[in-house]
Amino acid sequence: MPLRRLFAISSVLFLLVLAISPAKNALRSYRSLQRQYRKLASSRAHSLKSAQGYEARPVAIQQIWLRDFENRVDRCTTCHLGVADPLMAGAPRPFDLHPGTPHTPGGFDRFGCTSCHGGQGLATTQPDAHGSSVDAGPPMTPPVFIEAGCGRCHLSDSVAGAPVLSRGRALIARAGCYACHAVRGQDAFRSEAPPLATLPLKTGGAWVKRWLKDPKSVDPNATMPNFHLTDQAIDELSHFLFAAQVPKELAGRIEAAAAEPPGSSANGKKLVSESRCITCHTVEGKGKGSAPELSKIASTASRGWLLAFLREPQAFNPRTAMPRYHFSETESRDVVAFLEDEFRDFDAPKDILEPLRVNQSLAENGRKLFRLYGCFSCHDPAGSGSEKFGPELDGIGDKRAQSLDFGRRTDLVRALPAWLAAKLESPRSFADGLKMPSYGFNADDSRAVTTALLALGAQGVPDRYRYAPPQKPALLPGGPVGSLIQSYRCLSCHQIGDRGADVSTAPLTYEGSKVKRDWLVDYLVLSYTLRPILEERMPVLRMPREDATQLADALESFYVDPSILADPFAGRPASDADPAEGQRLYVGLGCRGCHILGSSGGYYGPPLTEAGKRLKPGWTYAWLKGPQRWRADVRCPDYGLSDTDALRLAAYLETLVPVAPSAKPEKAARGVR
Amino acid sequence: MADWLRGSAVYRSIVRHGTADTNRNRSLVIFENLFLHVHPVKVREKTLRFSHTYWLGGVTLVSSLVLIATGILLMFYYHPSVPQAYRDMKELNYVVDNGLFLRNLHRWAAHLMVFGAFLHMLRVFYHRAYRPPRQFNWVVGIILLILTLFLSYTGYLLPWDQLAFWGVSVGTNMAKEAPLVGEGIRFLLLGGNVVSENALLRFYVLHCVVLPVALLLFLSVHIWRIRKDGGVQGPPSDVDDPRPEESA
Repeated sequence: MPLRRLFAISSVLFLLVLAISPAKNALRSYRSLQRQYRKLASSRAHSLKSAQGYEARPVAIQQIWLRDFENRVDRCTTCHLGVADPLMAGAPRPFDLHPGTPHTPGGFDRFGCTSCHGGQGLATTQPDAHGSSVDAGPPMTPPVFIEAGCGRCHLSDSVAGAPVLSRGRALIARAGCYACHAVRGQDAFRSEAPPLATLPLKTGGAWVKRWLKDPKSVDPNATMPNFHLTDQAIDELSHFLFAAQVPKELAGRIEAAAAEPPGSSANGKKLVSESRCITCHTVEGKGKGSAPELSKIASTASRGWLLAFLREPQAFNPRTAMPRYHFSETESRDVVAFLEDEFRDFDAPKDILEPLRVNQSLAENGRKLFRLYGCFSCHDPAGSGSEKFGPELDGIGDKRAQSLDFGRRTDLVRALPAWLAAKLESPRSFADGLKMPSYGFNADDSRAVTTALLALGAQGVPDRYRYAPPQKPALLPGGPVGSLIQSYRCLSCHQIGDRGADVSTAPLTYEGSKVKRDWLVDYLVLSYTLRPILEERMPVLRMPREDATQLADALESFYVDPSILADPFAGRPASDADPAEGQRLYVGLGCRGCHILGSSGGYYGPPLTEAGKRLKPGWTYAWLKGPQRWRADVRCPDYGLSDTDALRLAAYLETLVPVAPSAKPEKAARGVR
Repeated sequence: MADWLRGSAVYRSIVRHGTADTNRNRSLVIFENLFLHVHPVKVREKTLRFSHTYWLGGVTLVSSLVLIATGILLMFYYHPSVPQAYRDMKELNYVVDNGLFLRNLHRWAAHLMVFGAFLHMLRVFYHRAYRPPRQFNWVVGIILLILTLFLSYTGYLLPWDQLAFWGVSVGTNMAKEAPLVGEGIRFLLLGGNVVSENALLRFYVLHCVVLPVALLLFLSVHIWRIRKDGGVQGPPSDVDDPRPEESA
């Protein structure tokens, strides 16, 4: 009967069709890879037993299950079988050993693979796992941005072992991205851009127009980006800026200063070099560059403004990093006279500092532009309200390429890193009417910033994986000492607890336990170079002795670490701890390789000629017991000294005091400078 | 050996009527079987022809059986919770043996069932099979169509991907627009005011328990009624009611 035959044939056909799925199942690519691996590994094995062990491995999906890390399951090891096997060093992909990192090979079970590399851990096929197939899970982070993975857990600004990420974070902070873009944990971010209230008395219309055209061409250290404004927009904005009301008090100071008689340029030159301005500023490119270039400063700011600013910078910009130098009236005139003579743009037009005659209708248009471009985000954060000007950046690192607007940039690879890099390099190229300015990042910069942005995941990692360096409480006193610390801007270079910039190698958190008070007073009054090889040096702030005493007393009583013994010799005189043996140790351990003592020694560490006058023995002892405890990156070796030996050395250093103002230590000290 | 087996008490207790090809025996097989007795004892050969019904009801029935079978298997691998639901899709895709096949079979069978049900209804409509004595079965059929659509819709949310999430957001917002009871229906469906874990659980229970049970119930009635109403009705044979165009 034909119907029955048809039924029989179609049943057989249907069975065959059903067999396709189990067949595909049996021929999955990881299975043949695992068989290849067995062969390769057993041929590399050193013993018969281990070769047999490799041969006996079942063909099966391998996975790392991280129950407390978002319940992650990473099956990458199904194909990457040799990642933790030293035997597979140099083997072909995907069987090779993972390169050594702080978390591998020890941390596979704790971190898995996708926590650093991204990609889809659940997948068992290469295109899906790596994210190269359409509609697969999140793609892997390209190797050049791999440090983005570090940044998911390591939240501090600077991450040891991740230089690109750290650089990216530093660049983001310096460029002030968070002023416009909201990111979790950065709500308190404030740009260091100056308030613009005194601008009409500071500079001229021509200069402002030059600056708005391209800030970096005026000052290479400028952090302000280029907004690519049209000449008309520049004109309108300039009129708006010059229409600002200068606060009466500051205007009075500037005008009074402008009327003062000129000072002595020669003395000014001496003062400038003594004050070590280039610890922060640059002069023709030389210096640290965290503050404006000075070589054309006299063609940027009027004499009156410079003088008034120098006398009290914080009155002009409460957020400035610039400390207040205690120059006398005459001395400050001398400094400005020197700046006026030498640090001038001789090619600039004569009227560069001529104030602009304000046209009200242009100024009104300028006001609109000021809002349109979000200038207020940096220059007047208080006026910006709670809403951030730009789109928020939280979770940008987990954005899928499909949800990004590539606009006109059809030339780009449809991937998040390429999109980010292009956004950083030429933000306006995506569509008309975009407002983001360009920051002049070079390829390295944009790679670093992209890395830092890719680290901004949509969800925070679990607490157990989040790593921020332990919080050190910042003790910032109020009252007169607090205002001294404010006025001298100690935190621009020194750290107190977690506050302050990491420029100086000497955090002030436990300074009171470290140095002797009398030395500190002298040092504050006239600081000298302790570490000759560092570029950043303590500026000579011309601090009056009473200020220095007050600060030193405060450091002595507040900034102490209870774990540093005040008297390691337990009441007995230091000489009982056998300083002679300490001296023998000093020579034996090779301390002089880095430290100057008398007339010889290396330049890396601070000189110890006057160690007994400078350092407290309790500190010396605590330091010697483990230098890295105080700062992870110090190069002073941890010799693992016994208590007795550390005490002996501390006792020896305690004997190193200038006996009398004799010639020898004096000469050594000069050598140090 | 085969004879011994056929003669054994166990075999005879299961296969009571042998395989004899007589009309009486065939009728007995149908009568005495719980599952087959809803089926007409006799089927005219004419009604089995493809052009008679286009087998559309049968296609729908078979795909619903496939859906039940694959659905039960899928339930072994699925947790109606966030975010495990979506991960279970991935597990089916990447780890479960034949998991992708299972899931795709379920999905395609579901499409086929909805499509088949629609065509079946159209066929019945154009063949005027909704008229007495089949008017009751037509109404049962409409209930079955609605149940099928609800099954299809509740299954849509279960993968918990973007498509599912927004599909259900849109769908429940449409329900909200119903006058007076709209808000209430939406709240009831979602177990809250947004598409959340509660909605997932509700849709899961509806999809795997409530709706299939209702479907099976009405399906039995539907098939039973076919027999009671005199078997399937093919194209109407009367030619006394030609369509206007044909008469013109």
